[in-house]
Amino acid sequence: MDISTLLTQFGDKYWLALLTTWQLTVISFAGALVLGVLLTVCRVAPVMPLRWVGDFYVQIFRNIPGAALLILLVYALPYLKVVLPYKTCVLTATTLIPAAFCSEYLMAGMNTVGKGQIEAARSLGMTFPQILKNVVMPQALRSSVLPLTNLLVATMLTTALASQVPLNPTDLTGLVSYINTHAVGGVTAFFISAVLYCGTAVVIGQLGSWLDRKVRLQR
Amino acid sequence: MAQTPVIELRHIQKHFGTLHVLKDINLSVAQGEVVVIIGPSGSGKSTLCRTINRLETIDSGEILIDGAALPQEGRELARLRAQVGMVFQSFNLFAHKTVLDNVTIGPMDVLKTPKQQAREEAMTLLRRVGVDTQAAKLPAQLSGGQQQRVAIARALAMHPKAILFDEPTSALDPEMIGEVLEVMTRLAREGMTMVVVTHEMGFARKVADRVVFMDSGEILEQNTPEEFFTHPQTKRAQDFLDSILKH
Repeated sequence: MDISTLLTQFGDKYWLALLTTWQLTVISFAGALVLGVLLTVCRVAPVMPLRWVGDFYVQIFRNIPGAALLILLVYALPYLKVVLPYKTCVLTATTLIPAAFCSEYLMAGMNTVGKGQIEAARSLGMTFPQILKNVVMPQALRSSVLPLTNLLVATMLTTALASQVPLNPTDLTGLVSYINTHAVGGVTAFFISAVLYCGTAVVIGQLGSWLDRKVRLQR
Repeated sequence: MAQTPVIELRHIQKHFGTLHVLKDINLSVAQGEVVVIIGPSGSGKSTLCRTINRLETIDSGEILIDGAALPQEGRELARLRAQVGMVFQSFNLFAHKTVLDNVTIGPMDVLKTPKQQAREEAMTLLRRVGVDTQAAKLPAQLSGGQQQRVAIARALAMHPKAILFDEPTSALDPEMIGEVLEVMTRLAREGMTMVVVTHEMGFARKVADRVVFMDSGEILEQNTPEEFFTHPQTKRAQDFLDSILKH
């Protein structure tokens, strides 16, 4: 099948698949950001066990393949009497892994905040949580825009894990399997999905660069 | 009965590894007094200044702010720290906040001052130090002298009982030193209690109530500027004055 036949026949489904991929990406990335910030707070907290938990989390979830995590969530959790819907399993995997990377980027971003500013905050009488909230975290986030942009793209690509479980509507990668079991789409079916992934990534990259220029601090 | 000193240090000892940086320091600063600490580099004067609000830890001794002992850490330390302002050599303004927000953040977050009131007070302070027209800018857009004046306004915004100045003009170009010293002189005349570590002998002579001379982690002399500069008691103070006043 050529591109135009595929698009006439499956155009609607491609559109839905693109929306699904976007939806999975946005939810996962938002979750990863929130979790990443919390993890980072734990990792710098003046409380030993919290630091330990944060570091441990990052070591685990930075080093586990997405597919392996998804298999655990889908097939192993039921043994613990936890049966999650397929979509929840996918979103959990695509949130937990990027959160570890997010925390690593924020840790690097924190190093750009001068020690002097932290001393100034302490001398104003700010407590540790206030210093994190007012001084350290905002600057760490600003200096992490570009790595976090990469993470957003990587998160989108990770959502292709959704193709491994039955979803309706399915995502861009899942749709390719669907087409190839219902018709003979061949490589062309992949090609259309690839173009949609790439197109989204280009837009994300542009937005990231724009945001970086806007919030980056002169020193 | 004598008034309680605003700042009192008792038998402060501190080591950096094997280096004994503060040797049995005793110092008290009265309400409204301007104490200038001078001495050669490495004499421990900056370290002493920073121990007063525990930015540096100490090995032993006691620090009292208005008669209350400064604890090692925790909320109580934060609360007492808020009563002592600090101005740093490298300004240390919050780089992501505007000049105005740099001044309002302390009162709003620590003293829980309502936003509107904090902003009004901040603008008054910025006007007092002559940078009110820069209120909406970020620190990096200001000159060093302007940044340091903002830092002074930020300290004043907390209504501190005293302000510590840790070499406030050492990172400034010569033409900007004057504008910062002028603000400090005005503060001193208005009765602010100040501890100033500086190499500006003119300022020490003109503004200080008392000059403290340190060398090798010890306080060697304390005197009025007049007495200290004309009749230093120790050999080391004489040598120090000779070396800086020669040229």
